[in-house]
Amino acid sequence: MSYAFLRGVILMGFGLLILGLVLSGGIVYYIAPIMMPFIYFGMVTFFILGAVQLFQDKEDDHPQPWPVYVLFLVPLTAGFILPERGLDSSVAENRGVQYGAAAHGPGLQAEESESDTPRADSYLDDPDGYMEALGGTEEEEADEHAPLDYEDEEWFEGYYEELFETYAGADEIAVDEDTFIDVLTLLDLYTDSFEGTEVEVYGFAFREPDFDENRLVAARFGMTCCVADAGVYGLIIDSEEAADFGDDTWFQARGTIRAGTYNGQEVAILEDAELEPIEQPDSPYVYPGYQ
Amino acid sequence: MVNQTRIRPDILGGAVLLFILIMFLFQDVLTFEAAPSAWINVNTIFLGIVIEAAPFLLIGVLLSSMIHLYVTPEQIARWMPGKGIKTLLPAALVGTILPLCECAIVPVVRRLIKKGVPFQAGMVFLVAAPILNPVVLASTFFAFRNQLEIVYVRFGLAFVLSLVIGLILYLVFKNKGPVIRTRPGEVHVHHHHHHEHGQGVAARLKEICSHAAEEFFMMGKYLLIGAFIAALFQTFLDRSVLLSIGSDEIASVAVMMGFAYILSLCSEADAFVASSFGNQFTPASISAFLLYGPMLDLKNTIMLFAFFRTKFVIVFMITVTAAVFAGVLLTFAVIS
Repeated sequence: MSYAFLRGVILMGFGLLILGLVLSGGIVYYIAPIMMPFIYFGMVTFFILGAVQLFQDKEDDHPQPWPVYVLFLVPLTAGFILPERGLDSSVAENRGVQYGAAAHGPGLQAEESESDTPRADSYLDDPDGYMEALGGTEEEEADEHAPLDYEDEEWFEGYYEELFETYAGADEIAVDEDTFIDVLTLLDLYTDSFEGTEVEVYGFAFREPDFDENRLVAARFGMTCCVADAGVYGLIIDSEEAADFGDDTWFQARGTIRAGTYNGQEVAILEDAELEPIEQPDSPYVYPGYQ
Repeated sequence: MVNQTRIRPDILGGAVLLFILIMFLFQDVLTFEAAPSAWINVNTIFLGIVIEAAPFLLIGVLLSSMIHLYVTPEQIARWMPGKGIKTLLPAALVGTILPLCECAIVPVVRRLIKKGVPFQAGMVFLVAAPILNPVVLASTFFAFRNQLEIVYVRFGLAFVLSLVIGLILYLVFKNKGPVIRTRPGEVHVHHHHHHEHGQGVAARLKEICSHAAEEFFMMGKYLLIGAFIAALFQTFLDRSVLLSIGSDEIASVAVMMGFAYILSLCSEADAFVASSFGNQFTPASISAFLLYGPMLDLKNTIMLFAFFRTKFVIVFMITVTAAVFAGVLLTFAVIS
């Protein structure tokens, strides 16, 4: 008795699930673009292992009772049947939204894609060679990063100073997904300098329990590897139209930056904003480590 | 005996094939839009963890299968000479060059111990490899660029603690017999592999694949259960409850360790989650989060209980917990 055929079918099913998500674009709800090389590797491996199992006729080495295989149908069924949708404001509420200050950590990772993507690729091309090679590259890597150790403070300030130069003096700033976290961090670091600047931003509506009816947040989930690590970033908005926008509706806001306080912290607030409903963008998340 | 209650594999396989094909071809029509949104969130996080962890689990079972089929206990003994506590330091050094995360490491360690690697060395791998690897170093560095002491503490302490944990486990279990469970049905099949050595690359690859496929199901079922529980917590746990205790020196360390355990993040991504806590938590508690999660979390606990003796897993968990807790508090008492 062998369950090889059943295993083959399920493995193929996982390959198909990933393929379907990649083709439909739904994969963006689960996985950050930076991890995609690993996901492709997983998909191909599922197909290969599945194909080998379909045509296998030997006895099982590790016999599993059949309910184990049924368990693997759960993620498959859920993946195919349940709607693909981004996380919503109930999760945002449980995770806590970051208004500026705390966001600057992840905002710094602009370089990460450069260092990680080739590594992921080399892993894919030749996992074993890659693993062997790591012994050697580790030292080089340490060297490569070492100079940064001494100047990381300056680097941090330099990065945002430079960015500040780019935006300072602008009468208006339109924030898109690539600049969402960077601009929010700038607004927080240099709130006073940006007072009076017109800002246009879009996100989904989120409310803290203590907000009054004219206030809401344009929020985005920022994802590093997968949805499990997604954090929430947002800009507080005061607008007379706020009440028209229920939680989780996507909207665009245009208003003027003022320095304000929330929970005893100084934050940038977008005031007198005009709000407009928009369609959910193709990519519901923003990616701090990927540009 | 058992065979009579089994469903015939070919019928089950055929039914599942049909089921999957229908779902794949008609997924747009079949979408269950009315599902409650909280459960869609659970599903999104659950699938996110599973899809992200799957490639790494596959790497783990492929590596494990290669070791299983083509590495002999004699070779292991040659690579890891020495006995008792002399194996700890080499194991920690090997752990630093194995780029395996916590999803991939359990099958590999289990296999190595079965092949004759001393269990204390295996456990040093298990706790060291998911932290001490280049990808994790890079992500931690980027997340904590402006707080480098956390990077140093994470990697320095991970090395030291892996040795301490290995030493304690060795002292407790050195004369207590095997730490690995032997599963019925597995013992008798392990002698037939080595005669197939000379059959060429294609046959070898096929054999690795078929063994890896079986092992994927053996390991994957625990990943599925762990990922589901983690998704429940991720969806319904209100993090502000944690933040209210964030500033207390000792309580915050304990809370962040518990949090790391429940979240079951990949060690490659946890640094970014930790940095999102920002200044609300102490550096000691952030370091504890970064050390404890990769060593022990919900999804690998379930795997550990399945493959190691219950008593051993319990002692292992207590040792890791105490070592991380004490190590972090001591370190920060000294450096601050």
